[in-house]
Order: sequence, then C-alpha cells, then structure tokens
Amino acid sequence: MRGNYKVNSGTRFRMLSDDQLEELLGGVLHLLEYTGLEVHHEESLEILKKAGAWVDGKRVRIPSYLVRKSLELAPRSFTIFSRDGNSENDIIIGPGRAHFGPGPTCPNFIDIESMDRRPYVKSDVPNVAKMVDALPNIDFCESLGTVDDVHHDLGALYEFAGMFPNTSKPIVAWSYDKDDSAGIHEIAIAEAGGQDAFEKRPNYVHYCEPLSPLISTGEALDKLIFAATNRIPLIFTPCPIAGGTAPVTAAGIITQGAAESWMGLVIAQAIQPGLPFFMGGVFSVMDMSAMILSYGAPELSLMMAGLTDLAHYVGLPLWQTGGCTDSKTFDEQAIIEGSLSVFFSALSGGDMTHDVGYTESAMTGSVFQLCAMDEAIGYSRRITHGIEVTEETLAVKVIDNVGPNGHYLREQHTRDHYKTEYWYPNLCNRRNYEEWEEDGKKTMKDRTVARVHEILATHKPTPIKPETEEVIKKVLAEAEERVKED
Amino acid sequence: MSDILAELSTAVIEGNVDDMADLTEDALDEDFSAQDILDKGLMPGMDHVGVEFKAGNMFVPEVLRSARAMHNSMDLIRPLLAESGASMTGKMIIGTVKGDLHDIGKNLVGMMCEGAGFEVEDIGKNIEPEAFVEAVKKYEPNIIGMSALLTTTMRSMEHTIKALEEAGLRDKVKVIIGGAPVTQTFSDQIGADGYASNAASAAELAKSFVN
Repeated sequence: MRGNYKVNSGTRFRMLSDDQLEELLGGVLHLLEYTGLEVHHEESLEILKKAGAWVDGKRVRIPSYLVRKSLELAPRSFTIFSRDGNSENDIIIGPGRAHFGPGPTCPNFIDIESMDRRPYVKSDVPNVAKMVDALPNIDFCESLGTVDDVHHDLGALYEFAGMFPNTSKPIVAWSYDKDDSAGIHEIAIAEAGGQDAFEKRPNYVHYCEPLSPLISTGEALDKLIFAATNRIPLIFTPCPIAGGTAPVTAAGIITQGAAESWMGLVIAQAIQPGLPFFMGGVFSVMDMSAMILSYGAPELSLMMAGLTDLAHYVGLPLWQTGGCTDSKTFDEQAIIEGSLSVFFSALSGGDMTHDVGYTESAMTGSVFQLCAMDEAIGYSRRITHGIEVTEETLAVKVIDNVGPNGHYLREQHTRDHYKTEYWYPNLCNRRNYEEWEEDGKKTMKDRTVARVHEILATHKPTPIKPETEEVIKKVLAEAEERVKED
Repeated sequence: MSDILAELSTAVIEGNVDDMADLTEDALDEDFSAQDILDKGLMPGMDHVGVEFKAGNMFVPEVLRSARAMHNSMDLIRPLLAESGASMTGKMIIGTVKGDLHDIGKNLVGMMCEGAGFEVEDIGKNIEPEAFVEAVKKYEPNIIGMSALLTTTMRSMEHTIKALEEAGLRDKVKVIIGGAPVTQTFSDQIGADGYASNAASAAELAKSFVN
C-alpha cells in the first residue's frame, strides 16, 4: 500500500502559470465589461439585457459577475454520444482528454483518384465520413469542405445528410443559418428517438462562429439560440487573425478571442443553463509576406496551447486546432506542420482538436492528410499516455528472474504487456531495407494513398435507422422547395 | 483433415503450450503416425503463423508461444520419427561468434527455426571457431547459423568456415549467417551458403536447405 502517492498518469504540459492566467482572465473580463462587443441580433440583445448586461444600441457590455456566473453554469465534463450506441465512439469531454477530427468548409478537395485539387462536391462527403469512421484516432466528423454542386444555400444540409449515415462517430455540424440547423437537428433527433432522447444522449455538436474583432453576427446568434433552445452542445469559435483582425501578440489575440467566445457563452447559459459549451477557435498569425492566415505556423500551436490553458483555468472545454498545413500538397511540409501541431494539441489536452486534414491554409481538404495525421495522433497519444509505474510495470521480479545473459522474449510479462505498452504504426515503415526494397520501396505517401483506397473500398459504417433515412429525404426535399421559392 | 490434426494446428496457432502433450497423445492413440502429426497437424499451424506474422497480424511473442507449443509436441514425436527413419525438418546449431556477446538476434533466429520445425541446438555466445567445429561433430546438424552484431567480430565467421574446411566438415553442413552489419555480399565473400536479414527469413532460408 502506498498512501498519498502522487501519479502523473499522462504527459501534459501547461504553458502559462496561474499568475499569467489570472492576468489573461482579468484582460478578458475587462474587455467584456468596459469595451464591450457589437451584437447584431435583436433577440440576443433582449436576452442579454434581461440577464444583466448593459446594452447601448448594438454595443453590449457585460459585468464581470455575469461572465463568472455563466462560466460557473457551463459544465467542464460531459459526453457526446455515438449515434448507434457504440460506446467506443462516444466522446467523453473532461480534463486530460484530447479528441481529434477534421474541419469544415474548404472550397477545394484533393481528388481521391487523381490527387488533383478541384472544387469540393457532394459525393466527397460520404468518403470523408467513412474515413473518419474507420480511422482509429479520429474521434469526430466534419466534412473537410463546402459542397459546391448543390444550391449554394443548401451546402451545409447536404453535408450533414451525407455524413450522418456514413459514420457513427459524433458529427460537429456547421451550418449557414437556422433553417439548416433545424433540418440537421430533425435528422439527428430522428435517429436519437426524439427530442427528449436527444437531450439525454446528444449525438452531435452545433458549430457557430462570431466575427473578429468583437462582433456577434445575426446568423451566428440565430444558430446559437437554436442550439441553446434545443439543448444541443455548442461550439462558439472565433477565427481571429493576429496582426489583422486581432492584436499581433499571442496574449492579445487570446484575450480578444476569449471575449468573443464568452459573449456567446453568456447568451447560451442565459437561455439554457448548463448547456455544454466549447470556447474556441482557430488562433493564428497573418503571414505578413504571403497575406494568408497560417495553418502551419508554430504560433498556431503556441496560441492554441495558451488558449487551452485559459479555457481549462476557467473550467470550459476547448475547441482546439491542429493537424493542418499551409502546404499545397502531400509533402514533407504538410507532415511536419500537421504532426507537430497534433502533438502540441495532444500535449496541451485541447478537448476537441479540429481542422485535421486541412491543407493549403484551409483552402483544400485532404483525406490523405487526414489519414497521415491519424498516424501522427496515434504516435502523440502514446506519448501523452505516459509511463505507468506499478509493481507489475517496474518488473523487478521479472528482471531478477531473467538475470544477466537472459532475454525477455519468452517471458509471460512480455506477452502480457507488449500490445499495450507499445504503439504499433499503420503507415510508418519499420521493416529492414531488404523487405522494404522487396515491397517496392514504397514511401509514406504511397502507403497513405493505399490505406485511403483500402478503407474506402472496404469500410462499412453502421447504417442509420430506416426511418432516419426517410427523414433525411424529407428534410432535403423541403429544403429544395424552400430555395425554389426564393 | 481429421479433427484431432486440425485441433493440433489450432493449438499451435493459438500457442496452447499446455494442451500440446495431451493432443499429441490423442493423435497417436487415434493411430496417426508421428509423420502425419508433424506434416498435417503441426506444420500447417506453423505455416499459418508464418503467414500471419509476415502480414503483421501476429507478433514475435505470439510466434514464440506457437513455436514453444510445437516444440512440446515435437518432444513426444521426435523419438518416433527417428525410429521410423522418417524425415524431419532438420537439425541446426546456432551461436554468436567469438568476441561477440550480443545474442538477442541469435535467440530470435533459434526460436523462429524451432517454430519452423528444426531441432535447434543453441551453443551460446562468444563461440570460438573450434567450438563450432566440435559442436558440428557432436550434433551432426544439417545447418549451422552464426550471428554477429559487431563489424569487428564478423571476421570470425570466415575463420569458422575455414576451421570447418580444415576439419573436413564443410561439405556436411550448410552455413548461414546474419546480424546487423552482415550483408549478402559479405556472405558471398566468405563462402557462406546463405544470409538472412531477419529472424523470420532466416527460418525460411534454413527450410530451403532441407526441403
């Protein structure tokens, strides 16, 4: 027996000290109370006023007690459930748990056969969802693109309709407006068994974005209110660009971005106390030469780690970012940028890391990048899993038994632990030169392409209920009617 | 195939070391010959293990467990095979050469070759050429396997081959070599009969000499 024995059961880092985080928190509260944000939404202004915010036209200032109360109401730990009851695909949000998945809305896609860049189309959606469903280290689904070959108002709806039947992993649903959101929700609750059943076991997360600097748009708040009213776990994630739409400094962008998220938090908790709420987002730099928002910059990982620390300090889960790249193709740059950022996301323990599979600075989605990053996430997770120290793992008796000149290959201890102590690669090649040569000298890219093709040819996701299929048809038909009338 | 031979195959694949003796006795009680047990029970199991290992579906500890299971059955049928003059896969001696104390690779090769049906005599590490020669005289193997990890000790393989020639035994055995610095070119240079780059292909190479 060991009393009061302290265990580090995984490897995590925290970048900022309590003093620094208290200072950041003070900065955010100061911004919300004295500078305020613009809210372009009448209903939200009413909700805020009633909750105790100071409303002056569109400018809303929130006293710090109200922000603290909202932070208090939002849970740190909760579960997003798989649609088919497979608990292995549930996402348990809580301290020390990092999850990964793709992002939404890239205009382009890397074609699965030709590997050329082209517009993202409807038929790409099921393929992305199937990849997510099959890859062991990808935990939630987004589509990696905006559907180009349907009516432009219906892209988000077709996305969800294409993803939902093809993965039982929880989906993070992006949408244009509340009509999309309503259609998406109708599909999700059909599968869950109605609104009550959904509220007990939510099977998707709703995603919306405020605008930097310091604006909450009408569409974003329409969607937020829809999600909060229907008790759909919510992400309210800004995408500030350091040096462009946010201060150039890491501490500055974190302060501003957190204020933008927490405006959503206050509204959401006023409508639905205790609603699961993720602060977010994508925090990175504007490259002052290329003029892009960089998805491969080290500052992205740095800012996201700082933001993760702040979120956890105030007891919120974080919508993180990683596994993405500025590279235009599947090359060394893509792998370096993607792998380092997923490793940092894993180390900082950001609760849901999205944009895995983004290339070309979020302009092009790639399931090849996604597949390679699945490997990098597995690798990272083995490290963050840490070192277990027990009598069994210390193996003093085993070492004594084997002694000098012996070996461990036949030890029961080896057989008991070699599968769980090691991570086994799917794509990285550890064979010797001769075997690698005999196998055609395949590169990481060759193996990644082969794995994508194999998964898409063979993987069978659990089907949705027949009645949900009918609901999907109905929702899409109604949406097509709606846009015809416009 | 009969049920009992299939059970033996499965037991080898699953590495049921404790069941092998009983299953082997049962097969003998059912009047299967030792040769049948080897060819139709044990070897198909080990062949399956080899395929699964190569495909990355089985791992070294599991393969060794299967090899040990096979070994447990072989202990019972080996005398019967010898009695009937039936063919066995073969006998080999293995050792790490003079000056070299690294033996994990050599141990792996030994266990893999046992799994392939060989009777393996592991004569240890830091083995002088003369000791290899003595072992060849004593055990009369079909194959000797030499291992080295150091470029400085590789040369001892050549000395061992020379010693075998001088003792007039070179024609009686096949010599296979391996270890991180060893290459096919080196093997050709010193007049060895074969080189393998890992334990699994060493077992395949050894089999190719006796079949």
